Amino acid sequence: MIKWLRSESFTAWAFMTPGLLLLAVFVFWPIIYSIPLALTDYSVISDTHFVGLDNFEAAFKDRNFLISIWNSLLYVLIVPFLQIFSILMAVLVNSRIPGIKIFRTTYYIPVVTSMVAVALIWSWLLGKNSIVNYLLMQVGLISKDIHWLSDSNLALYVLMFITMWKGLGYYMMLYLAGLQNIPQDLYEAARVDGASRWRLIVHITLPLLRPYVLFCTLISLMSAIRVFDEVYVLTKGGPGTATLTSSLYIFQKGMEQFNFGYASALGLIVGAMIALLSIIVFRFNRKGGVNPY
Amino acid sequence: MTKKAKGRLRLLVSMLALVVLLSSCGGGGSKSEKVDGGKVTLQFWTIALQPTFTPYFNRVIADYEQKNPNVKIDWKDYPYDAVTNKLLTSIASNSSPDVVNLNTEFASQMGSKGAVVDMNEHLSPEEKAAYFEGIYNSTVINGKAYALPWYTGTEVLYMNTKLVKAAGLDPAHPPKTREELSEWGRQINRKIGRAGYAQQLVSKLFAVDGIPILNKEKTAAAFNTPEAVTMIDNLKKQMEDGIVLKEDAEFSQQVKYYAGEQVAFELAGPTFINFIKTAAPDVYKNTIAVPVPTGKADVRLSNSMDLVVPAKSAHVDEAVKFAVFLTNAESQTAFSKAANTLPSTKDSIKDPYFTQSDKSLEAQAKVVSAQSLDKATDYMVGVPNAKDVNSAIARALQNMVLNGTDTKQTLTALEQEVNDILKQ
Repeated sequence: MIKWLRSESFTAWAFMTPGLLLLAVFVFWPIIYSIPLALTDYSVISDTHFVGLDNFEAAFKDRNFLISIWNSLLYVLIVPFLQIFSILMAVLVNSRIPGIKIFRTTYYIPVVTSMVAVALIWSWLLGKNSIVNYLLMQVGLISKDIHWLSDSNLALYVLMFITMWKGLGYYMMLYLAGLQNIPQDLYEAARVDGASRWRLIVHITLPLLRPYVLFCTLISLMSAIRVFDEVYVLTKGGPGTATLTSSLYIFQKGMEQFNFGYASALGLIVGAMIALLSIIVFRFNRKGGVNPY
Repeated sequence: MTKKAKGRLRLLVSMLALVVLLSSCGGGGSKSEKVDGGKVTLQFWTIALQPTFTPYFNRVIADYEQKNPNVKIDWKDYPYDAVTNKLLTSIASNSSPDVVNLNTEFASQMGSKGAVVDMNEHLSPEEKAAYFEGIYNSTVINGKAYALPWYTGTEVLYMNTKLVKAAGLDPAHPPKTREELSEWGRQINRKIGRAGYAQQLVSKLFAVDGIPILNKEKTAAAFNTPEAVTMIDNLKKQMEDGIVLKEDAEFSQQVKYYAGEQVAFELAGPTFINFIKTAAPDVYKNTIAVPVPTGKADVRLSNSMDLVVPAKSAHVDEAVKFAVFLTNAESQTAFSKAANTLPSTKDSIKDPYFTQSDKSLEAQAKVVSAQSLDKATDYMVGVPNAKDVNSAIARALQNMVLNGTDTKQTLTALEQEVNDILKQ
């Protein structure tokens, strides 16, 4: 016992326990509890009845839910763009250009700004007679006001752009950490062998960044499917169902309409979908990285 | 199983046990009775009324406690966005408040789930008769009244006289019908390039033209009619013609457009005045209030705040009595004077405060809207699962009007969706 108390593993557990307890209460337990909940018509404010798999059956017949899943999958399209642009930005800010720290800070500002504030600013920028429309009209790209957030063909892509704009700085920082972990002697050896700048990126930078790409792809994929704030603030899922995402629909069903049993079932379906996509991403990204040992 | 795997399994089982143990803490039990030295303590919740109206409530609560020495009122106020979550969590943890201020939609939603007390069981015919019938009936579902109407608001037409005159129109002879309003909007758009008004695409649009949302029994959708197709196609055309702004404009957005003189009109309740006064003092100076142009139904729609008594309240009788006191004519008149709102009681509007105008915009709006209260009806009258129905209708309206989906097909699909909601 005394031996164990002095061991490294005890120290590790002691540090992890508070965090794990919080996770247990606020994350693991709600996930576990949502399973029995999904089998009921729980609404908090009235009597609860067991309904078996009715909620799941209703979910797959619910046109709005299927649309919301489709919109969430469309949202995943931002993931590759987000990764490519943030890697490029990381490479850019990793260079030794004078004043580069200012750029690093500037790119990171949207990350630390609250999503509600960001969404409101974009709503002003994209509204009727807004600065964006004015500038586009001045340069002759458009001939009349575009209703960016009221046009069902545009609204979802506008939201995707806003999400990407806000996330770029965050992923850039992660990739920057990755870039700075790559041993410089690898580059020097390659240069001695006459490798071009492009070959350095393709054969050294990208392979050694793979663990970071995997991590960033995974979290951005999950974030894309779970996107909520910007949709809730800017469009509330509209016009019609054009920007209705799965998280927003689950929120509406649970918190606005008190169908918590049904919302739990929807949450489990979306959770399973995220898990499946994560497994696929894992299978394609198992190699690469720097082995420190 | 390896040693390592066994260790991991043990860890997992221990964590699960801990989670179950923790989650079983709290909750349970029955209704929480709050009796303090023989006194009953009533939890009374309002939405966004502190600190502006604290003096009024302190006065009215003190008055009530003096008249009812066995009752103590514990008043709490929550922001609009927080009250739903707060109420759900308190009901879930069996510490339900006793009297809660909710809007009609939320009250109807809770009523549909059987979560609030039926006021018809507790009120005498005289007490019921004190309220405007159209407003009182707004939360009656299957003969059960799920809320007492409290303060209310009816829409008036706010008009930017500068823009109206610039378009060659005379503000002294305002439009009286929606058709006339439409023509004014067309002329404004043609002459000065602004829109007539902005609006939100909600179920209210059906009510304005007298298209019932549900049948009399409230068991099925009733809006899939040729009149509805005409109304929606007409709205599409108005948007194409620049009479109505082509977007689903929430109230805050409407304030922005009016303040920026992008539109000449606003159809809103009295609260609009304060927003415009703050956002654009110059526009406020040029604004007048006139009776709202009516649609085919010739009704003026009200938008009420209600008081409900949750079914899980431990002191239902005392709670209903307090809710009746707070919504009686005397209390409502005093509150209207303090808060610039409209009362839902018939006797209140006999007060000179609601009949005399000093020509200010606030007074104009108040007098105009108070005189239309007898015609007022809440457009969500007794709709079960009102929130679900409203959100389905709003989505479909946006699809038809903004996304250009076929009106007849979308209405038919919406009818099916609403019928499914009503079966829940």
